[in-house]
Amino acid sequence: MSGPVLAAVLAAVTVLACLAVLAAPSRALPSVAGAGAGVVGAVGVVYGVAAISGGLAPVSVGWLVPLAGLRLAADATSGLFMVVTGAVGVVVGIYTAGYAAHGHMGRTPLSVLPLFLACMLGVPLADSVTTFLFLWELMALSSLLLVLAEARRREVRDAGVWCAAMTHLGFVAVLVGLVVFAAAAGAEGFPELSASAASLSPATRSAVFLLTVAGFGSKAGLVPLHAWLPRAHPEAPGPVSALMSAAMVNLGIYGILRVDVTLLGPGPRWWGLALLAAGAVTAVYGVLQAAVATDLKRLLAYSTSENMGLICVALGTAMLLTASGIPAVAAVAMTAALVHLVGHAAFKSLGFLAAGAVAAATGLRDLDAFGGLAPRMPTTTAAFGIAALGASGLPLGCGFVGEWLLLQSLVHALPAGGTMVALVMPLTVGVVALTTGLGTAAMVKAFGVGFLARPRSAEAERASEVGRAMAVGMGLAALACGVLAVAPAVLAPALSRVLPELPAGAGTPQPRLGALLRLPGVGGSMSPALLALGVAAGVLLAFGATQWRARRRPAPRTAELWACGGGALTARMQYTATSFAEPLQRVFDGVLRPDVELAVTHYSQAPYLVAKVTYRSRLRDTVETSLYTPVIRAVAAAARIARRAHMGSIHAYLAYGAAGLIVALLVAR
Amino acid sequence: MGLFAAIRRVGRIAEPAPPRPESSAAPTLVRGSLQLRHVDAGSCNGCEIELGGCFSPVYDAERYGARLVASPRHADGLLVTGVVTRNMAQALRDTVEATPQPRVVIAVGDCARNCGEFAGGYGVLGPVSDVVAVDAEVPGCQPTPTEIIHVLRQVTGR
Ligand code: SF4
Repeated sequence: MSGPVLAAVLAAVTVLACLAVLAAPSRALPSVAGAGAGVVGAVGVVYGVAAISGGLAPVSVGWLVPLAGLRLAADATSGLFMVVTGAVGVVVGIYTAGYAAHGHMGRTPLSVLPLFLACMLGVPLADSVTTFLFLWELMALSSLLLVLAEARRREVRDAGVWCAAMTHLGFVAVLVGLVVFAAAAGAEGFPELSASAASLSPATRSAVFLLTVAGFGSKAGLVPLHAWLPRAHPEAPGPVSALMSAAMVNLGIYGILRVDVTLLGPGPRWWGLALLAAGAVTAVYGVLQAAVATDLKRLLAYSTSENMGLICVALGTAMLLTASGIPAVAAVAMTAALVHLVGHAAFKSLGFLAAGAVAAATGLRDLDAFGGLAPRMPTTTAAFGIAALGASGLPLGCGFVGEWLLLQSLVHALPAGGTMVALVMPLTVGVVALTTGLGTAAMVKAFGVGFLARPRSAEAERASEVGRAMAVGMGLAALACGVLAVAPAVLAPALSRVLPELPAGAGTPQPRLGALLRLPGVGGSMSPALLALGVAAGVLLAFGATQWRARRRPAPRTAELWACGGGALTARMQYTATSFAEPLQRVFDGVLRPDVELAVTHYSQAPYLVAKVTYRSRLRDTVETSLYTPVIRAVAAAARIARRAHMGSIHAYLAYGAAGLIVALLVAR
Repeated sequence: MGLFAAIRRVGRIAEPAPPRPESSAAPTLVRGSLQLRHVDAGSCNGCEIELGGCFSPVYDAERYGARLVASPRHADGLLVTGVVTRNMAQALRDTVEATPQPRVVIAVGDCARNCGEFAGGYGVLGPVSDVVAVDAEVPGCQPTPTEIIHVLRQVTGR
């Protein structure tokens, strides 16, 4: 199929899906909505695969988008992002068919779902500034509608306001950046921009770079522009969170990759450094907040921020090394970014789907009230376990390969890169190591405290396994995680076409992702498949050995669980998410600044005896409180002053209009 | 002053080991290495101070293979001090039950053996042997570290 046909099919399927959801009888609504989103996702996957295979003709429809018309083109990079988005869409579609049956999503959000998915598939296709901005804004608006699916709750409305404000601030930054770029280049098509980027003045290029990175960074959740992400992603319904966290944030990375790395780049070294620094701060801050979060979905949202930070670190490293003349290692860093992006999409969609399943079954999001879900919801527990393994970046998890590649590129850049590289790389290795360590702690907490041991609330006690559609959706995502973890070679054909399109990967030998991962020019190799085999063999061996030893052991006896002599064990003796993270909270006190209150009341007759101890600790996002609060306060103050001009008198308003007209006439002449 | 300098200055302060006592008749299965959990069933804490002395550098019971652990789940034996008070009786039974077999229960001090000072007290249930089976006893109020270690060595056989 050619480009125009695929684009038409995608558009037609989207419109049909939206209409079908609007028209479907209430009883069939969940299945229709799920099928609609799934089919849009499937078309996206097909389109993406076709784009990766190459040779799709560009599409140009002059009448569709105002001002300049719609221009679409697909290269392998677009194709990779489309396949990821489409695959997440298919999984989410199947899952939604079950999730919506619980009545958590109304008709309006369900009908927006295919549109949102189609916009996310369209953004990587855009081939001109107008088309890109149009689809970007449409995606932002549809995501806002989806976040507001449960607008009856106050937190959801709050999150909606944050999401709308931040998304549009980001949009303004991208808009101004791209408009400046297009004006300086004298054209708005991406091919023309690319051709004339080198002739722009360095100041213009850097301004465009900073503006667009800020705009795209806010979508990807880079600190300090992340504030909307941990609010909006958790408040959205489960499938929407999965789509946002596993697919939409990727498009922030896509924007950086397309505009800043490909069209504008290769840039000066400080671009790479800036991106690396932003990524490093995001990774550490995100993972720290994830480690102390007690809300499961908030934890996952912060982990999204963290992983986007790691991807930015990889992108920044690739840019820095390209500019420093070490292309072989830059190609490894770029591969790391792409592999981690795909891996993150797999484990994060699975994580949010599992969290959504728990929320659907219990109505809970607070880890402190979870516990004991493993025997009650085995499928969901297994799914979340696989997602947590992926997110902790350990071997056999699908986040491992990307992080390993990133570390390889950081370590091997050292000898060749000069002082700057020699200074930055070891620091970055430390950042990645700290991030991985804390990430593991966060995931151990989420899985161990959330799913194992005994239930800590009546809701968790009553939980029961979710239906088949949700289980199938999670199963597919888990399968993707497994394949990516053990055989990253499935990505090799796509990457071999994507890398030559990017400045970091062009003209150098690429890392080979076979059964054995080989990095030419770097001299590192690793085999996830062999690693998996080794672990499996080890487990079998240990199991066999215990079975063999068991024959010589005395007969087992049944006894009470040991509770330090204090009677029977109760759920209140378990670790909660808060207590598990308490030591970390102490260690990182200076960054997290928890708001702790400790009040001890003594008996009035006997001052040595304590009547009551109250302890309350609340964690807020430090960046939010210290950076956003003053800004919001200033804006509110300005608004109060501006309000004085709005006295409600029609005469005054007419006078304003007349004055405005006169000023306009005078200035425009 | 560095750590190593401090170590050199203090030198070896453990008392020379007395001759090895005869092995006791009672338990034979926990030989050589004895992991002990201490249970205070209602003591005046005099016995605890002496137990602390046993594991100090001066008496150093660990050189005979006895060692304190933090949970009965890790232990081969229990050191029980004091009379068994009503509030501690069930906890003591649970602790013995939680110690894997084969195990030894050692009653330390006169209180643990026969209620000593506290016999007839209103909260006192009785000596340890009234509540759980006792394998070895250390007499004395309070027993000195040397006496406690003497019994421990009979159990470990070192
Ligand atoms: S034996 Fe003596 S020292 Fe030990 S608990 Fe009893 S009274 Fe205290």
